[in-house]
Amino acid sequence: MAENLMERANDILERAILAAAEFQQFNQEQTDKVVVAVYKAALNARIKLAKMAVEETGIGLWEDKVWKNVIGTQLVYENIKDEKTVGVISNDTVTGISEIAQPLGPIFAVTPVTNPTSTAIYKILICLKTRNPIIISAHRTAAKSTGEAARICYEAALAAGAPEDCVQMIPAGSREFTQTVMAHPRVALILATGGTGLVKAAYSSGNPAIGVGPGNVPVFIDESADIPFAISSIISSKTFDNGTVCASEQSVIVEDKIAKAVREEFVRQHCYFLSPEEIHKVENIAIVKDSMSMSPFIVGQSVETIAEKSGITVPVGTKILLAELKSVGKENPLSVEILAPILAFYTAKDYYSAIKLCIDLNYLGGIGHSAGIYANDNKRIMEFSQLINAGRIVVNTPTSQGAVGGTFNMLAPSLTLGCGTGGKNITTENITVKHLINIQRVCRRKMNDKFFSVDRSKYLDENCNETDLRMEYHKNH
Amino acid sequence: MMDFDFNPEERVLTCIFKGRLDTIISTQISAELESKYSSLNEKEDSTALLDFGLVFDLKEVNFISSSFIRLCVAGKKKVKDGTFCILNSDPFIKKTFKIAGLDEILDVK
Repeated sequence: MAENLMERANDILERAILAAAEFQQFNQEQTDKVVVAVYKAALNARIKLAKMAVEETGIGLWEDKVWKNVIGTQLVYENIKDEKTVGVISNDTVTGISEIAQPLGPIFAVTPVTNPTSTAIYKILICLKTRNPIIISAHRTAAKSTGEAARICYEAALAAGAPEDCVQMIPAGSREFTQTVMAHPRVALILATGGTGLVKAAYSSGNPAIGVGPGNVPVFIDESADIPFAISSIISSKTFDNGTVCASEQSVIVEDKIAKAVREEFVRQHCYFLSPEEIHKVENIAIVKDSMSMSPFIVGQSVETIAEKSGITVPVGTKILLAELKSVGKENPLSVEILAPILAFYTAKDYYSAIKLCIDLNYLGGIGHSAGIYANDNKRIMEFSQLINAGRIVVNTPTSQGAVGGTFNMLAPSLTLGCGTGGKNITTENITVKHLINIQRVCRRKMNDKFFSVDRSKYLDENCNETDLRMEYHKNH
Repeated sequence: MMDFDFNPEERVLTCIFKGRLDTIISTQISAELESKYSSLNEKEDSTALLDFGLVFDLKEVNFISSSFIRLCVAGKKKVKDGTFCILNSDPFIKKTFKIAGLDEILDVK
């Protein structure tokens, strides 16, 4: 069995490595020709793929999945199309340093069930732009739609002259096989987007990995914020694709002094505050209590479905279920990440108490991911940002759309968001082409005159201390 | 895009390739190579190993596709006593075989 797995993995990697060998001979023009062809084909398939994904997974809303496909195709393409990713990418005559981009080799990409086609397309685009063949491992529940996205991209790439096997899919459903491929010595990099277990497996594989895991996004509404605007923005984000984006708001935190106004505004904008009994009922279906994690059965479900499963009645047209909680952690299961239109709500007696709550929420499974703040006081924005451990602090913006970039701000559009070391990631950036190239630096001789003007014997003299050496180093010469 | 030179004394077939060996050209070459192999092989069975050595000369080649690399691997496997080598590859082509992990197996010179 194990031998068979290894043989299959060898076959996939042999194909990928030959594709890599061919691909590294491409120049920028040939590479860009492939990328534009893939972008066009994928953008044209945005609606079909969105509908397929919703039909297959039962998660989210097809109209919003179209939006995600547009981010993964058009916005990613517009962002990377002029990037130099082949050969000499910079040449600084002042420093004497030139930079050369080299491809990495076969990239093993894991795609999630929540954003299946958009993530696959985005990863294919950034891999092809950097001349790296990609091997996609789809979530088993989204294998068909992810496979179709990959097929469309691959056919377009081939027609534009890309190497055979530059896009491959591995069969979904076998964790053992996924891990065998992941750990294969010929994999150059793992690009894993998914849950904690997956990301840990990627980092434990022995291969370099960019693994991006879960969030638990707190949003602080400051007293300086425009409250109706903030609530409208939060609703547009938390309802987007029924809350499946990992950067979607998970809790709203406000000071007591504005709590009443915020509550009223949520209600006015068709959100529903659950009673303590209703919170308990929703907890029972939304959270797996043993692991304190969200139930896969409510991911991307509508308010109506969640209400029905919980056995509660909510007004028709309710957009979000709000659970007013007193504390963070086990005693309040709804304080963890839930990728569905359920939002925790906290009030605090003052600003610092509110920020401390945000820190607790941030550290409850979402370190390094994203956070949001609504404020018009820049001092508070900067203070909040320095206290929160998040790769992206999204200001006066829906966090789902804001964190993925390209729409509400100038962050690189991306469906894989780095979470820094807090999330066991190597970067806090939105992953894009620059993370998929090895940059070689050609360093021409440029003497450091200060260093060479120091009397060398002073370094060997025990009587010379740091001050003497600093003076010597910085003297005029 | 391809010439042949057969040395009957040493029984070595040199295949001289030219230009850009992309997927389409490699497919065309494949059929031509097979036919050449068959015509020279003294064994009648078309699946039999070749009883002569193979040299692929890449002096005038500036691009190789994965399909062409597969042709090289197939050629190496087809030669009975393994006398296969690749001659005159430029450094970029040499690097391509190196990345594919095949430069030693294919004896890329």
